[in-house]
Amino acid sequence: MDDEEMRRLLEQSGYDADLGMRMAEDAQRVAAGELSETKFYGRYHEELLAEFGQDDREFNELRDDLDGEVVTEADDPDGLADRLASLADTEGLSRRELMAKGGAAAMALGVLAGSGGSATSVGGDSGGDDDDRTRWGMVINLNNCDGCLACMVACDQEHNLSRGSNWMYVFTYEDDYQEDDQNFLVRTCQHCTDSPCTKVCPVGARHTRDEDGLVLTDYDICIGCRYCEVSCPYGVNYFQWGEPDVPESEINDEHQIDSRGRWVGSRPPEGVMGKCTFCVDRQDGQMGEEKIGTTACEEACSMDAIHFGDMNDPESPPNQHLSAYFDDNENDRSEWENRSEHTVSSFKLLEERGTDPNVTFVGNEPSQHARQVEGPVTYESVGLVDNRKEVLDNGAMASAGGDDA
Amino acid sequence: MSVDTSGVDRETLLRPIHTRTSRYTIAVAAALVAIGVWLFFYYQQLEHGLIVTNLADWGSGGGVPWGLYIGAFIWWVGIAHGGIILSAAVRLLGMDTYQPVARIAELLTIAALSCAGLFILIHVGRPDRLVTSVLPAWPTRVQWSPLMWDVTVITAYFVLTGVYLLLTIRYDLHRLRAQLPDRLEPVYAALTVGYSEREDQVIERMVWWIAFAIIIMAPLLLHGGVIPWLFALLPSMAGWHGGVQGPSFLSIALTSAVSGIIIVAAAFRYAYGWEELIPDAVFRGLAKWLGFFSLLFVWLQLQQVITGIFAAPTTLQHATEVKIATPLYWVAIGLVILAMVYAFATALKPSLFSLPALVGLSIGVLVGTLVEKVLFVVEGLMHAHFDLYSGVPGAYTPSAVELSALVGAIGIVALFFLTVSKVIPVVELHAIEGDHGSSVDATTATAETSNTGGER
Repeated sequence: MDDEEMRRLLEQSGYDADLGMRMAEDAQRVAAGELSETKFYGRYHEELLAEFGQDDREFNELRDDLDGEVVTEADDPDGLADRLASLADTEGLSRRELMAKGGAAAMALGVLAGSGGSATSVGGDSGGDDDDRTRWGMVINLNNCDGCLACMVACDQEHNLSRGSNWMYVFTYEDDYQEDDQNFLVRTCQHCTDSPCTKVCPVGARHTRDEDGLVLTDYDICIGCRYCEVSCPYGVNYFQWGEPDVPESEINDEHQIDSRGRWVGSRPPEGVMGKCTFCVDRQDGQMGEEKIGTTACEEACSMDAIHFGDMNDPESPPNQHLSAYFDDNENDRSEWENRSEHTVSSFKLLEERGTDPNVTFVGNEPSQHARQVEGPVTYESVGLVDNRKEVLDNGAMASAGGDDA
Repeated sequence: MSVDTSGVDRETLLRPIHTRTSRYTIAVAAALVAIGVWLFFYYQQLEHGLIVTNLADWGSGGGVPWGLYIGAFIWWVGIAHGGIILSAAVRLLGMDTYQPVARIAELLTIAALSCAGLFILIHVGRPDRLVTSVLPAWPTRVQWSPLMWDVTVITAYFVLTGVYLLLTIRYDLHRLRAQLPDRLEPVYAALTVGYSEREDQVIERMVWWIAFAIIIMAPLLLHGGVIPWLFALLPSMAGWHGGVQGPSFLSIALTSAVSGIIIVAAAFRYAYGWEELIPDAVFRGLAKWLGFFSLLFVWLQLQQVITGIFAAPTTLQHATEVKIATPLYWVAIGLVILAMVYAFATALKPSLFSLPALVGLSIGVLVGTLVEKVLFVVEGLMHAHFDLYSGVPGAYTPSAVELSALVGAIGIVALFFLTVSKVIPVVELHAIEGDHGSSVDATTATAETSNTGGER
């Protein structure tokens, strides 16, 4: 987008185009370090109040119009990042550097919009009660799962994972307290609203993305202390102990760099922590508009077990599935009106740990006496490794060459 | 003063600086070999990544992500508590008995904290980012991350101890300057820059307050605080939870710290014939401390075992049952109990005392505390609340790369003492001349009243 196109869009928006152009230029100066955020704020505060009043939302309308389309779900001041970045001199800059630069400019604008912390928000205090925001989550219907492991394979391929790094993991288990011989539990990262991993991270690499609740790892910041892995009650983290199986040269930046310009997608580099990202590249539209609101595991599931979407939106696929499933299993309350409304069991994993997970399961929760058993489809038969330590031990013994993991 | 070292001359005090023996050369060579062995292995870790350790992911991964490196980190921070125990005893409580080993203990603090830092450095996957990631994140993350609390408190402890050492050393260097080697003149000039005898009184008061600050910070906030909180605050692992971890960690730290001082002080006494400078009475006193801290150690273990097995929540009960079924745990506890029994026996029957036996038992205590710390970390990670994984409990034995780091760290501490003892007197001049506290009002009263208590 060049200056003229931007001006045209600004004029279409009905707001002061000159103001918008001056702000965009100064935002670049903030990004380049030539202008302090404070000065930037001071310079435009009065004018913005006059133009938009005090409501941040109206400011976001400006952003939406700049994009040329209305971003409905994400209350995302960073959506401007790549637009601003495209105004910068792109000669000799990689996409990652460019986006980082644009991200800084957008952050400066974010300060103006009264939500400056969002671009750098680092876990711990991220609230989950704001129903206006997107909160990506899942409803996983365990009653539908047949243990085919297609979701694990899809995740492994989409994110270029190293052997044994099972971001998506399907348990088959026996449980004295359940009738079936084979029960399933489908475990992604729970993308907890009150996630212990983001609280304990010493450097803020593990963080909750404010605009949509995704719990992500900034691969550029992580020091590899593994405290997040130690603190997580679910065991969803997989460290990159050695060289990744898939080299970075084979992975596009679109998979790796999110809308804020941070490196959070695809498998982590060596010495850094990785885990399920809820396919952040898809949610940011970098895999195409049609992939927003989908995940690789959900797409691969032919049993209609995995339902991904905005948990704050009652009309989202997971919430619709949940209510439809409840409706289909209504309880007969004609005689006993104090009975529950439906006969379906649902739960959140280890809810008593206080993590407020964003994955809801339909089906029975494994009891304390449940034990994992071999499933109808073995991990090995679909080309996956279950116990990663076997791979790592081989790497520890190998001298050179065979140290991928 | 219950220990009379006033007959010792300055030449004896400066013996490490003035002598050079073949035994010294061999000791330096041995330390360098130990460091070399570690560097050889660590180079492989830098080249291939942490895959050369036996660490792995917990959960489906079938391993534990923290192991010997973190266990050794806690162990070294524990040993570092020797400095504060001794400087508090001498400066705050006037127990001049321990004056001859006070500086050795402070130097041990500096060396041990450095080793603790080293273990964090080699533990992380991206050591190159320790500065670039940690410094910018500090202002926001210190409000949340227990690991950042640790970094903060350990840094503060290191700085305070370093300042304490630098301030107290000026008095000695100024008075001993004529007997110190000229080729190190720039070092002494730097250490005593701006010194005048008028500052002695002020310095004495400053170090009293520094000792006072550290005695609150190091035991209560560091090893009885942020280090156990690294584990006790997490919702993931059953065996780590609970308020007892603070006192328990502290008891282990103090036990290992006294053992560390006994070993280093005995080594100096042996090497330089310092029977007069560091007399038996010092070690007899330290043995009583060792006995008392060991008792606390064992008592707090008892607390955890009893509350863990009687009617505990199922996951904690399971973790505790596994802990007490681990033979290595009983080896650790046994080594500590052995030292405790010996310490109390020599207190009742002084003729039982033998310095070689005490040193041997102190080494046993250090082995025991290291084993206990590594087991705490590793077994803790093996018994998550969520144990549906067939890979839980995971498996772990330290690899050669990890074990070599222990050898290297011990080599670093040895080399540190071998080097420092050639430059500065490792025993304070106060130990043989004059009373440091007599001119300071605030401490005189305390010193006088507790002097009697310090008599043994």
